[in-house]
Amino acid sequence: MTHVPEIQGNRTEELVIEAREAQRERAPSRVARVGDHLKREWQLYVMLIPTVIWLLVFLYKPMYGLQIAFKDYSIFRGISGSPWIGLEHFQTLFNNDQFLRALKNTVIMSAYGLLFGFPVPILLAVMFNEILSPWYRKTAQTIVYLPHFISSVIIAGIVITAFSPSAGIVNTFLGWFGVDPIYFLTKPEWFRPIFIGTGIWQEAGFQSIVYLAAIAGISPTLYESAVVDGASRWQMIWKITIPSILPTIIIMLIIRIGNILEISFEMIILLYQPATYATGDVVNTFIYRQGIQGGQYDLAAAAGLFNAVMAFVLVISANTLSKRFSRTSLW
Amino acid sequence: MNKLHLYSRGDRLFVIVNMVLIGLFTLSTLYPFIYITSLSFSSGFEARAGNVILTPVGFTIEAYKRVLSEPMFWISYKNTFIYTIFGTITSLIFIIPGAYALSKPQLYGRRFWNLMVAFTMWFNAGLIPFFLNMRDLGLLDSYFGIIIGFAVNGFNIILLRNFFEAIPKSFEEAARMDGANEFQVLWKVFVPLSKPAIATVALFCIVSRWNGFFWAMVLLQDTEKVPLQVYLRQTIADLTDNEEFASSLMTSAYSFETVSAAIIVCSIIPILLIYPFMMKYFTKGILMGGVKE
Amino acid sequence: MSGVRLDGIVKAYGAVQVVHGIELDVQEGEFVVLVGPSGCGKSTTLRMIAGLEEISGGTLTIDGRKMNRVAPKDRDVAMVFQNYALYPHLNVAENIAFGLRIRKEKKELIKSSVDEVGGILGLTDYLERRPADLSGGQRQRVAMGRAIVRRPKVFLFDEPLSNLDAKLRTQMRAEIKRLHNRLGATSIYVTHDQVEAMTLADRIVVMHDGRIEQVGTPMELFLNPVNTFVAGFLGSPPMNMQRATVVAGEGGPIAEFKGQSLPLPALEALRPGQEIVIGIRPEYAELRTAPEPGTMQVDVDLVETLGSEALIHCMLGDDPFVIRAETIGQPLKVGSRVSFAVRPDLLRLFDARSGRALPGQRAGEALSFGAEAAAQ
Repeated sequence: MTHVPEIQGNRTEELVIEAREAQRERAPSRVARVGDHLKREWQLYVMLIPTVIWLLVFLYKPMYGLQIAFKDYSIFRGISGSPWIGLEHFQTLFNNDQFLRALKNTVIMSAYGLLFGFPVPILLAVMFNEILSPWYRKTAQTIVYLPHFISSVIIAGIVITAFSPSAGIVNTFLGWFGVDPIYFLTKPEWFRPIFIGTGIWQEAGFQSIVYLAAIAGISPTLYESAVVDGASRWQMIWKITIPSILPTIIIMLIIRIGNILEISFEMIILLYQPATYATGDVVNTFIYRQGIQGGQYDLAAAAGLFNAVMAFVLVISANTLSKRFSRTSLW
Repeated sequence: MNKLHLYSRGDRLFVIVNMVLIGLFTLSTLYPFIYITSLSFSSGFEARAGNVILTPVGFTIEAYKRVLSEPMFWISYKNTFIYTIFGTITSLIFIIPGAYALSKPQLYGRRFWNLMVAFTMWFNAGLIPFFLNMRDLGLLDSYFGIIIGFAVNGFNIILLRNFFEAIPKSFEEAARMDGANEFQVLWKVFVPLSKPAIATVALFCIVSRWNGFFWAMVLLQDTEKVPLQVYLRQTIADLTDNEEFASSLMTSAYSFETVSAAIIVCSIIPILLIYPFMMKYFTKGILMGGVKE
Repeated sequence: MSGVRLDGIVKAYGAVQVVHGIELDVQEGEFVVLVGPSGCGKSTTLRMIAGLEEISGGTLTIDGRKMNRVAPKDRDVAMVFQNYALYPHLNVAENIAFGLRIRKEKKELIKSSVDEVGGILGLTDYLERRPADLSGGQRQRVAMGRAIVRRPKVFLFDEPLSNLDAKLRTQMRAEIKRLHNRLGATSIYVTHDQVEAMTLADRIVVMHDGRIEQVGTPMELFLNPVNTFVAGFLGSPPMNMQRATVVAGEGGPIAEFKGQSLPLPALEALRPGQEIVIGIRPEYAELRTAPEPGTMQVDVDLVETLGSEALIHCMLGDDPFVIRAETIGQPLKVGSRVSFAVRPDLLRLFDARSGRALPGQRAGEALSFGAEAAAQ
């Protein structure tokens, strides 16, 4: 077949114009089309409505309630009835040593958590991948995923028991080396290491799943050709595994940075006590104490809004940076 | 180990060191559970003296007798079951049809609705407005409040939506040509085809309900309604903070350490029972949800 | 009559039109195949008939009733999908019964219908199995069973054989044809495979870029393609096309190209100096042992032996030229020059500018099965 000439050059255009006109003639109006659509697809909307209503009532309505951060809120006047006072709460907050301390603690603990906690799941995933025995690997995975599914109350209970000055296993160990019992949970200098260590112990195994999946997606032929080329296991990790899962690592990093202010305060509430507020009190625990326990709803809401906006800005900027430098992004 | 003999000497050493390191990490994960279990079966005297390291010392079940004789333990256990079962069912009733609708390209404003869901994953109003909202809705101190207030979760909807979207279109079209309406397509075709994804979402709900603590503590004042986790927290807090109360528990048979350990063991057991199912579905489910918006 | 009528059917996505006014009349009991390259709009057209796509313009009539806005389930049509769309959680019987169940038919009726259809398709022994435990051909049968069981007025097939391997495809093709002979239901079948189209169709509709190029029986289309597109699309290997210039010769018009010449049938439409495309089917090139007047010369580039015949890939100047020949006699050497002749009435001539067949060619009537049989 040497050459297929163009067919019916002019007729094409004529037909398109004709067809468009025909369509215009027969096309129903927008309103009629929407009506038609609803008549046919109303069931879809019936399915969607409960979820939408739920979101509006339980997640979006509170966003409307956020305005109390700018109001002198009183329970009796209600959200809309309370008078506006502008940024007064924010001024109060930034003159409040407790809030500033909580902000500092949040950033410090998140940074440490990121620094020590982020690499561990990657390391674990790479190490799991190098295990040859499927049985050994599966057993180890099953065990290290487990703490993720255990409630923070129980984990805190275990920590409290293990670090207890009287009978705790940690002090028992230290006792063997002649160290006097330490009441760890009342010592500010020990709070952060215990909290971050607990977090890693609880979540690192489970977080490795994402990386393991990324590793599972690497074509085996890459490794096989590396073997033929004489690469060692160590070289394969650095030349194949890590580069292949880099996009996943970046995405997870963005998510972590975005959540940097959303520290798991539930665990902190369970572990801290007035003696360790100096190093352990974070923004959300501050909000909990001031707002829910202390009844200063407007001030606490202002602290929460500040936290949420900062977090949102962090996600957006982390994503933008990632888009620019690695062409990997969340959305 | 079938391929090990093909490895060079350096690689063999690497593989063995790696296995040992993984083994150590695994043991360090397992040890606290063994320790707590052993503690719960040890006598109060030995526990106090710090003699429990690996296995029970002075084996006794007195701590369990003490825990199980507490009416509040049973009430809170029952409450946790109520919250878990009804909470999970409620979640599925919202999430399955919602995710189905969001997966349909012909849905008007689909982008908007999806954004409405995804936005809640990145921004929320925070503790106080949520709390005030629950109070204004009259949902404090009620079973219904806990069950409905945490029914929907953006991540679960998007996980299921992504799964629905991946189902070949022809399944739906074939059913439609056979005369099925949307509800029938969902119930007779999509739900059976999505069992793994739905199981994953259900397990997510079960675990978060079973473990839920903070909001139950904040929203529930009535001790008759609190779940196990709140009771557990209360007991441990009482035992650690209140020396008087703690010493009232001191007998040679049990101490507050062994009692706390016994409660912990009792509340872990149900999670351990469903853990094999979770292992089957979770790993897949996590990936299905992916990190896609 | 339960025929299907498409009257100016248009499909547009926003401003982009993909089907530009299809006119087609499918008679009751007829087997019509829509064929064309991917993206030609054939599947979209089928899906508009099924009701799975909205019709943007024009009128669809089934059995005399306007169907544009009727829901798929109320059109009384059934469809076999490319991937079969068998529900993995249901066994064969339940899959076949799905439509009847949805329509809340009586239990006994469902049972007897499923048994009957199972019998027709040879699935009786497999009714309890799940789709995952069936072979490709069996799955294909279940998919057809699901369509048959409802006794629809019209069957729609969307590339139903393209997931099967070559051997099964040939087998299932014959089965579909037999089934159609038996049930006699109006069928519209979409495929990109011209062999399927040729073997199955009562009438073939060749589509290209959202338009119908030609409608006709398989042999009409094979022998009398109206333009170079249809000529090139039907037939395997495809028709050879050679650009040429018409010159006046002693005995009539002659085509000249690449230093060679070929006598042409005396058509009124031919004018000296005209640019044309000569279409020569590989089957109609008859090899000659030596160059003769009126033959063409080509250089052998590659010989693909198929058994009783061979495809001889040649070069005509810079252009490829394929000849289909029987494999008796001397083997051809690569690089050697061969000559071949073509009966003038088997040449197809197209206007080079428009691509349309020149009027007045009568090859279709010159060769029919009857004529060939008589010649032997």
